[in-house]
Amino acid sequence: MDIPSSLAIVALAAAIHASFQITVSVLTLLSGHAIGAKRSQYNVLRLNWSFIGGTATMTLLILSFISLLLIHLFGPIDVPLQVWAVACGLVFGIGVAVWLFYFRKEKGTKLWIPRVLAEHLNDRSKATKHSAEAYSLGLTSVIAELVFIVPSMLISALVLLQLPSAWQLFGIALYVVISLSSLVVVSTLIGGGHSISKIQKWREENKGFLQFAAGSALVALGFFVYIYKVVAEASGVL
Amino acid sequence: MHEGGTLIVKRHGHGHRAESEHFEPQKMHLSIVAACLSCGVPAGHAESIGRHITNEVEDWLKDKPEVTSEDLRRTATHYLKTHHPDAAYLYEHHRSTL
Repeated sequence: MDIPSSLAIVALAAAIHASFQITVSVLTLLSGHAIGAKRSQYNVLRLNWSFIGGTATMTLLILSFISLLLIHLFGPIDVPLQVWAVACGLVFGIGVAVWLFYFRKEKGTKLWIPRVLAEHLNDRSKATKHSAEAYSLGLTSVIAELVFIVPSMLISALVLLQLPSAWQLFGIALYVVISLSSLVVVSTLIGGGHSISKIQKWREENKGFLQFAAGSALVALGFFVYIYKVVAEASGVL
Repeated sequence: MHEGGTLIVKRHGHGHRAESEHFEPQKMHLSIVAACLSCGVPAGHAESIGRHITNEVEDWLKDKPEVTSEDLRRTATHYLKTHHPDAAYLYEHHRSTL
């Protein structure tokens, strides 16, 4: 796989990661509670950016961990095609699951995550007052989203391992930056004075599209990588 | 309001025991003000809306010994809609964001 194609796959996987909504929901709640508690705009943004810092750190750690695990299991170059096939299957399966189950079929933007976890994040976002708490809330939110983001991270890790070292670092940075894009947009909107209710209404009105887009993109990613890597190499085209 | 204060029955999801507590006007006032502030309403106006809604809800509770927290939220949302629809939306849905 050449470098531009590899980076394009990593960018697509990161964009899919960015389309998942748990961290966005928590950021919206965190901002809503902070504004509601009459905090200054500076403090609201400080909490938001600390939260984004936490999500960036955890995303970086998980992606690095998956890459390291793959190196330990299969070596830096020769990841068996079976592993690629399993990863593609996982991406495809989660894509279909996202189509079917991501948002709950009721008012609001409730997600199919354990209610205990959702309530914990809800309560923590309300209780968060300091940057360090917002940072750890960011770390926790990424863990809550793990079941949805692991497939795109696994594909990215597999692709990154085939790149030269310098490009691997660039690829990891690219993944983290793109995966944060939705949070940066929401934080910028809030910083620009947009109402939380308008942002939340937009999310609710477009949740069907967000769900369809995320699921379709995962299915497309799994299909593309399967054909481009597994089928092509198995049939000797590459 | 009902003598001794109206009892608010809270239910926290499936499998959890229902809890109850007496209605606290200040708590409602603060949550209405918070919803208004999140919608960019100036602080003074938010306080004024909060007072209005709390008074209206207290009137509604007068002859009721017990209501559920969902009833209370629905009623407050109904009154808030006439003052600020966006804040009413946020107030109604803040538990269904995640």
